[in-house]
Amino acid sequence: MPHLPNSPTAKPNYSSVWLAFVLLGISAINTQAKIAITVPQQVSLSANFSTQQLSISWLGGEATTFDLIILRTEFNETVFYDTVSAVLNQDGGQHQWTWTSVEPLECTSLSVKVRSREGKTISEWSEPQILEGRDLPSNSVQNMFPQDRTVPVGANTTFCCIVDEGKEFKSILYGTTVMNVKRLSRRSYATTAVNQNISGQSGTNVVCLSNYPSRLTGAVIFVGYPPLLSKFECETRDLIIAECQWEEGRSTNLYRKNANHYSVNERDCPKRQRCTLSQWDGNWTLLAVNPLGQYSLTDSAEVSHRVHPVAPVKLTPVAHAWNATVHWEWTYSSYSSLALVCQVELASHNTMLGNFSGVGLRSAVLLDLQPDEEYKVKVRCGSQKNFWKWGDWSKALSFKTKPYVPDAPDVWMWMNRDNTGLVVWKPLTRRQSHGQIVGYKVTLWNSEENEQHTEILSPESKVLPVNLTRWASFSGDYKVIATVIAKNVEGMSQPASVLLRLIDDEPPALAQTVYTSTGFPLSWQHNDNSTCGYLVEWCNALCTRDCPVDWIRLDAGNTNISVQSADFQPGVRYNFSLYGCPSDFPVLTHRWQGYMQELAPSSSVRLEITQQGCDVVLTWEEIPLAGRRGFLLGYNVYISNGSQLTRLANLDLGTRTYTKKGLSVSIHKFTVKAYTSAGEDTGGTASIRLESCDGLILEILASLGMMTLLLATVAYFCYKKRRWVKKAFYPDIPEPKLPGDWFRTQGLLDVKPPPHSMVHIIEKPERDSSKDALVVIPEEEEDDGEGIGDEPVDTDEPQSLRYYNQVVDERPIRPRFPDSSVSSSSSVDSANTDVTYTGIQTSCSSLVFRSDSQCSSEGFQPHTGFSVSSGDRGGGYQPQMQPVALGGNLASPEPLVEPQVVSSGGYKPQSSWLLDSPTETDEKISPPPSLGSPTSVASTQFLLPDSEEHEEERRQPSSSAAAWFTNLLSSAKP
Amino acid sequence: MAGIPTRGMRGSDLRMTTVARAAAIAAQLQEECSILIEHYRKKENFPPDVSDGPLVSVPPPSSQLDTRDKLWRLHSALEQCHSLLERAIAKEEEELGGEEKGEYENRRKTVKERLLFLLNHTRELLRAADGSSIFTPSLDGSELDDPATLFQLKWWVYRIFMEVKYWSQTAIAVLQELQSDTAKTPSKLSKRSARR
Repeated sequence: MPHLPNSPTAKPNYSSVWLAFVLLGISAINTQAKIAITVPQQVSLSANFSTQQLSISWLGGEATTFDLIILRTEFNETVFYDTVSAVLNQDGGQHQWTWTSVEPLECTSLSVKVRSREGKTISEWSEPQILEGRDLPSNSVQNMFPQDRTVPVGANTTFCCIVDEGKEFKSILYGTTVMNVKRLSRRSYATTAVNQNISGQSGTNVVCLSNYPSRLTGAVIFVGYPPLLSKFECETRDLIIAECQWEEGRSTNLYRKNANHYSVNERDCPKRQRCTLSQWDGNWTLLAVNPLGQYSLTDSAEVSHRVHPVAPVKLTPVAHAWNATVHWEWTYSSYSSLALVCQVELASHNTMLGNFSGVGLRSAVLLDLQPDEEYKVKVRCGSQKNFWKWGDWSKALSFKTKPYVPDAPDVWMWMNRDNTGLVVWKPLTRRQSHGQIVGYKVTLWNSEENEQHTEILSPESKVLPVNLTRWASFSGDYKVIATVIAKNVEGMSQPASVLLRLIDDEPPALAQTVYTSTGFPLSWQHNDNSTCGYLVEWCNALCTRDCPVDWIRLDAGNTNISVQSADFQPGVRYNFSLYGCPSDFPVLTHRWQGYMQELAPSSSVRLEITQQGCDVVLTWEEIPLAGRRGFLLGYNVYISNGSQLTRLANLDLGTRTYTKKGLSVSIHKFTVKAYTSAGEDTGGTASIRLESCDGLILEILASLGMMTLLLATVAYFCYKKRRWVKKAFYPDIPEPKLPGDWFRTQGLLDVKPPPHSMVHIIEKPERDSSKDALVVIPEEEEDDGEGIGDEPVDTDEPQSLRYYNQVVDERPIRPRFPDSSVSSSSSVDSANTDVTYTGIQTSCSSLVFRSDSQCSSEGFQPHTGFSVSSGDRGGGYQPQMQPVALGGNLASPEPLVEPQVVSSGGYKPQSSWLLDSPTETDEKISPPPSLGSPTSVASTQFLLPDSEEHEEERRQPSSSAAAWFTNLLSSAKP
Repeated sequence: MAGIPTRGMRGSDLRMTTVARAAAIAAQLQEECSILIEHYRKKENFPPDVSDGPLVSVPPPSSQLDTRDKLWRLHSALEQCHSLLERAIAKEEEELGGEEKGEYENRRKTVKERLLFLLNHTRELLRAADGSSIFTPSLDGSELDDPATLFQLKWWVYRIFMEVKYWSQTAIAVLQELQSDTAKTPSKLSKRSARR
């Protein structure tokens, strides 16, 4: 501060005095300046915590600008510092300035200082004024600010958390988001949520977490919108009271205390979107207010322009058969003078609207109703003049019109070719019956003879079978008319008639019609001379008798129609017939047929397959109509290659045969499928084993040639080697060597037949014809007939055996004449054998006879055919069986000679065919006389070696092979 | 009511039936309360590991309390829970209720009704034991103060739900103990009550 300096001189000095005055003046000026820049006094703070505004007021002298500084007291951080032009309060002479804090004012203590400023001259700072925060030690509990704040969507809000004294801050959550935090003081932490999104119904929680988990501190913030309204209008229902309505243009997302508050013309509206005013003001202002703002709308109108009528009440009907009148009342008597237009909605099978008008309208007449029909009617009205809007619908009123006589039924007929048929009519619909149908009356009337026949039928009837032939006077010239009358409770309908037409001519040809989305299109030429209408009938083409026919009538002049029916089925052929003059004298003029939808045939062709030469011929019949399900277009012929079908041909519909050539000799499988526009059927299949055609004869000829050649070779070989063959296979039987003293010499037995031991050979004995059957060998003949080589060679053996069995039946076992001296000499001990062969019939299978190439008895040579074996034990043959010589005549006096049995250890028979025959067994009660005696060596059976000679047999395979070969040849003979 | 005695049944049987029913209701309440708490915790984004002191004032548990005393203590706590829950629901509706009622409101209503059902059973049991009217405990005055802020209201509601869950669990234990005691000595409760 400037001060006056002390003068060192005692004398006054004018210059010094002047200087002193100057200095004094300067000092005075300075002093005056000091007085003008005064320090602001009486600084006071006023905080609005909800708006976070701090109002600072002070006495600031003459200064107009002030420096303001706001610090967080605890950390001495500057929050705000600026030079402001404070408003001077004229009443108290105080300056005032308001500061809005970003953080809630409760967060921490704030120190406020003010100083005056004049240009660059500033005063001292005022004493700091402190706005205490809630973080003072005296407030030790944890807390958070701001609480229950409502902010607009998109706003930024700073929250602060003041933790408990001595506790440690952890974090702040905004919803579920962990926020960035700024420390404001020792206990206070702040975070800012920016661009806040809309909150839930209960707001968004901001939670402060510390290391004191038992205490949860937080705040709730609501984020929403200010009010926004639309469609504000007022109207009247009773012509007195104003009812105002509006819509919320946007939800504020604020509820309860934060929700919009509405008022109309400053009268509170507790309801959300509606307000009722007791009088018609003509001008209205709607105001909506919420914590985030307000919105207002206005409306104005005359009462007559805003009439919204209430619903008519107490509707009552007066119903007749074809019309009805509806009466109603109004709630307000003021409507009696109001010009009204009313809308009547009449609902039955369909809904109709009709308008009626009048002053104070109270009724409406409804025309064109249907008898016996249920109706529902409701009414609403509006102001006829200055129409504002339709009023409310009344409650629906139901009524039923009265019944009436039914309409005449639609009658038609179906005639079979035998003059029987059906009178058919369409059941009356509800609209046609005009009441409950109680029955039908059908009359058949012969107009020529006035003969009639009437039947009463039940209400469900819709067809009556007729038989015109039972009419006594019926003939082709007479007309029979069927008349049908429907009856209901109100009476009888007009009669509907149809002439029962005879089938007397060929119907027109059927043309095809293709179904479209609108039905079967049918068209025809109109006969200009005809004034009759038409009738189109249709039925299932499969039906031939008493068909359920359907029909439709057409007016005269029509030349086309599209027939549609809910009964049409896919895959069914329908026949359509067009009749002219159906009511008078029906004439069939056109016929069509078609499918609603063609399908692939459901049945297949029945395929027949044959081989003709080297070709395969397929033939089939037409598929029945029921199985076609579409117009057949043709046939596809396939051949099967394993699992695949290869198409061979596509044939038109008229071709039902197919020849396949060039197939190999194998099994071939063919499939023929008929097809329609919808596709093929599953196909008829047949297979054939194709035999060789070209090489068959050649193969047969070649086989025969080969066989002939083989036989010729064998025959030639046998002829050339006949001696060897004979030696090998038919060696001469050695002379019998009888034991004992019978033979003194070892030489060949010189048999000289004594006179009493002559063999009498009867060349052609007279045979009993009855025995021929025994002689004939059918099997052998058959064998001969079948030719050589046709049968296996070893199959002859049983035939031979069979033959012998037959022979044995007649075989003389012992001499038939025991008194004969000849027979007595047939003893085995007799050296002389007197054998008489009579009519010998024997098997050609015998090797002995075979070697002679003669199978007949005529060719029998005693010296070879009669084999006499030696009685020697060694090396000879033991007969397998007794050679049987058949006596053609049992009465023959010549004794049969039994061959000598040669005792031999060589071979024994594989089996005894003698024992095989039970007949023979029966007959041979006594042992055969040949036992122990030499017998014939002829055998057709294999000779098996004796057991004691098996070893020797094995050592001599050649002999065994020879025996086998012998047997083979034996069995190979025919 | 489930606890009303049925003609023809012995007293011990009736108690057994009532106790069993009460235990079943308590178990159901505990489960429904758990679901409600979880629903509310997620709805309000409350951390799962926070808790606060009890809202219900009852004598501390003691091993010296006999079964009837435990039942009385339980009944008293349930009465307080029900009172708190009713107030909480009313307050919540007043401050935070919306236009439409959703799942939370339905679950809350169910818990409240189930709690009342359990309370009626415990009252019936006490009446059967004591034969006199039941003294209804009053809530502590400090707890009657309404929460000052909406967050405090939410936290208060949450604590009440937790309290209901705690006392439903306690009810299960007490009623099971009562069941076993009744099974051992059917007339023990009434005799002891007579001595009191």
